[in-house]
Amino acid sequence: MRQDDRSFVPVRRFIAFGVAIFVIFSTLTARLYDLEIVRGDYYHQLSEQNRIVRLPVPAERGGIVDRTGYVLARNIPGFAVSVIPVDLPRVREQELAQRLGSLLDISSESVSNAVQAQRIRNPYEPVRISKTPVPREIALAVTERAELFPGVRVDPESIRFYADGTLYAPIIGYTGPITEQELAMLSANGYLADDDLGRTGIENVYEQYLRGTYGWREIERDAAQREIKTLALQRPTVGNTVGLTIDDRLQKLLDAELRKGVDEDKFTQAVGVAMNPQNGEILAMVSIPGYDNNMFARGITQPELDALNADDRHPLVNKAIGDRYPAGSTFKMVTGLSALTEGTANRSTVVNVTARSFSVSGTPFFDWTVHGSLDFVNGFAHSSDIYFYTLAGGSPMAPNVRGVGPDAIAKYARMLGFGAPTGIDLPNENGGIMPDPAWKLATFDEPWTIGNTYQEAIGQGFVAVTPLQLLNAYAAVANGGTLQTPHLLKSVTDASGKAVLITPPPPIRKLDMSADNLRLLREAARKVVTSGHAYMPNAKLPIAGKTGTAEFGDSAGKDSAGRNKLGFHNWFVSFVPQADNTDPTAQIAMVIFTYDSSKSLCELCLNPAVGMTQRILEQYLGANK
Amino acid sequence: MSVRAMNLARPATPLHDRPAPRRWTQIDPMLLIVTVLLIGYGLVMTYSTTAETRTFTGDPMQFVIRGALWAAIGMAAMAAVAVFDYAWLGAFAPLLYVFTLGLLSVVLAIGTSSLGAQRSVNIAGLSFQFSEVAKVLMIIVLAKFFADRRAAVGSPVTMLLGLALLAPAVLLVYRQPDLGTSLVFIAIFFGIAFLAGARIWQLVALVAIAAASFPVVWSLLKDYQRARLSAFLDPYSDPQGAGWNIIQSLIAVGSGGATGKGLTAGTQSPLGYLPIAESDFVFSGLAEDLGFAGAVILFALYMVLLIAALRVALRAKDPFGILIGARIATMLLFQIMVNVGMAISLMPVTGIPLPFISHGGSSLVSICFALGVLQSISMRREPEGP
Repeated sequence: MRQDDRSFVPVRRFIAFGVAIFVIFSTLTARLYDLEIVRGDYYHQLSEQNRIVRLPVPAERGGIVDRTGYVLARNIPGFAVSVIPVDLPRVREQELAQRLGSLLDISSESVSNAVQAQRIRNPYEPVRISKTPVPREIALAVTERAELFPGVRVDPESIRFYADGTLYAPIIGYTGPITEQELAMLSANGYLADDDLGRTGIENVYEQYLRGTYGWREIERDAAQREIKTLALQRPTVGNTVGLTIDDRLQKLLDAELRKGVDEDKFTQAVGVAMNPQNGEILAMVSIPGYDNNMFARGITQPELDALNADDRHPLVNKAIGDRYPAGSTFKMVTGLSALTEGTANRSTVVNVTARSFSVSGTPFFDWTVHGSLDFVNGFAHSSDIYFYTLAGGSPMAPNVRGVGPDAIAKYARMLGFGAPTGIDLPNENGGIMPDPAWKLATFDEPWTIGNTYQEAIGQGFVAVTPLQLLNAYAAVANGGTLQTPHLLKSVTDASGKAVLITPPPPIRKLDMSADNLRLLREAARKVVTSGHAYMPNAKLPIAGKTGTAEFGDSAGKDSAGRNKLGFHNWFVSFVPQADNTDPTAQIAMVIFTYDSSKSLCELCLNPAVGMTQRILEQYLGANK
Repeated sequence: MSVRAMNLARPATPLHDRPAPRRWTQIDPMLLIVTVLLIGYGLVMTYSTTAETRTFTGDPMQFVIRGALWAAIGMAAMAAVAVFDYAWLGAFAPLLYVFTLGLLSVVLAIGTSSLGAQRSVNIAGLSFQFSEVAKVLMIIVLAKFFADRRAAVGSPVTMLLGLALLAPAVLLVYRQPDLGTSLVFIAIFFGIAFLAGARIWQLVALVAIAAASFPVVWSLLKDYQRARLSAFLDPYSDPQGAGWNIIQSLIAVGSGGATGKGLTAGTQSPLGYLPIAESDFVFSGLAEDLGFAGAVILFALYMVLLIAALRVALRAKDPFGILIGARIATMLLFQIMVNVGMAISLMPVTGIPLPFISHGGSSLVSICFALGVLQSISMRREPEGP
């Protein structure tokens, strides 16, 4: 090599270049060491979080059955329709929105809006279009003509189905979509944004049992969030089956009688509740008119909801517990027990009813007939108003009888459960009103009058009760003095058929009343049927009970169904001792309440509840024996 | 009759004042072996990052087969170039320069757009990245320029003329737009000027001018280029957007750990978290699959390659050979530094392929061409000692 060429080679610069190579690779290696060795685990976790996502797998909701296992609520397969925006060409979006909208009965705008929102969020992920489960025919229409429905996906999901929807809706309630606020509270418990939960009734109260344990699925997903494969799976556990104390046979007998009465225009609304006085188990609970809870389970439409709300018979209210009514003559049991327990009266306390009315301070107080001389049993059996006016507040017809007074009546009424919710395992229970002088002063700023006492004695005036309260009070008399906690939960069974331990609610209290006085009441109640106010021809059962007729609300104008408003309500509360005796052995107690009885019926002054009670109990218990 | 002795020595060519015999024994073995190893490593990585077709359909081996084809073409090109005397390249340097600018103009005119850049030209179903070819050709052009002006290499005039030569090519590449490759051109220029003996103060002055003009350059950058630079400084400012590539690349690299997840077992690139995993971010996939160990092995191969290239340059018999060798080494070093640096967030994101490892025929064949030139230089050097 020539000298000038050699000298051209700047050797020191080559050495510098070599050093630069070394420095650069050292830097890269050091950084790699930090990333891969020092922080390798951290980044490994991040890469796993990237690709692995744990998706919840919803569990099927548990069923609801009656005490014999008859299925009241179950799940049937339905379908969810969703759209994957990336598979839907934009030019066909409008066309699809219209076709899908008309098929699913939703506006095409809401379809477009959902798709467009999802295009921005994550076009690879399906967005649910059907707001409610879609039946098989519609799902088939979509899948069979897939070319008409680009990007549309149909997935199975289950719909809650209630076999006897309207009959059991007041008890069972329904499920519905979770709200934002509920989700905020419940997401920690595994609730998902598109979950349904029990909104009312048993579905709501026993949500904890009915909702299953959700499983999960670990999937690998790519950067576009598409699912590649399932890596691990934890199967969901089906929810527990809730067994009710209800006996479907009795429920249907009760419903048939009450419905017939409504159909024959004998009354516009009706309630029937039956329970076992010995333990508080509710055997039947009917509230007419009801509503079909399947409408809610599949997603109620606004017109349907408007119609329910416009009905002034309030079909959405379970009237057995949700509304309060004057107790009428059935309340005489309370007045009687108050006087007996306080000692102001006994079985031989006699009132000679010599006229249809008497006056106090110029105000007349009426009875329905001139009874003549009545002792306690006959006074109760013939439902003499003057007899119970006298026990409550004294009267000119029996100057030697001291009235027990409104405070004592209120005290024993509360002991019997009036004025407070019974604590039944259903939401929205009404507590009723149990007035006393202090209550009236606080509420109306007016002093209590003797007239108030008289009205209260026969269950008119301020007293307001729920049918269940009334039933429970009579059940306490029937069982010898235990005020039970009425309840509907009989059993809980897990997916494998094993019973989950549940404890029945303890009784509310023991009545602070003597066994003899309670026996006297049972004797008087039996006399109501055998020779009194509620005569039952060809009676096959030793039914005891008490009738009541109350005037309430409007007795003019028409209701939303076009019927004359009469304002007469009828009660019959009953219990059936094991034998025709006065022992506290009744296995069944029942209340029937008919609302707004028809004009013709009232002219005959027949209480429709009595006949219905006889027919129902004879059919139910007769077949049992 | 007197017989004149035949002059059996080869006649001097127009290129050399003395004949430059080819000596096969002087092939640089280290350079050759490391080249083959790196090509093999590249094929393995192509297999690893594309074979497990979890998200794509099609023949899982198609990328490997295509890579092997390109490797064969590259090796053939290398051999062919090595046979020719590199001095011819110097003779045709002006022509090569015109050809280079022509290629880059063609790309601008008819190139197909990929990720918003006009970078490749489709010919007969194959896509060519002319800027890769242009890179190597510009090495020759600039080497020839500095070699011819070696006497005046310290003069500012030389420096400015060199820059003037470079500028059209840089602008054409930048217009594609390919910021990364235009930076490679500039780096090559600095490398060669440095090794050619340019005054240090001149180089420093150039860097200073570049730094001073940064606001102007910034305003000339495209929005996505600015976003990339911002994302480099703080990837988490836009984790779903400009920062996404950087974050996902760091996750891929870091999750490889000491020995990696194993060939084809990486998750970041097959699942699409790592974009352009077979070219720009190929190193991230390598580090994920083969871990720290795999990366260090790659670095070792690169260092051997660079040292071998520098050695060829040092031993070259003329300034043209020296400068070509040095420039090839510079180009490789810069590309490695920028590509790896990008994958591990030491450099902003630019679309520069990683030599041998990135999938792409144009890059591989261009590099093979350059290494063929190196072997040509090596074979024509003066034999060492007696």
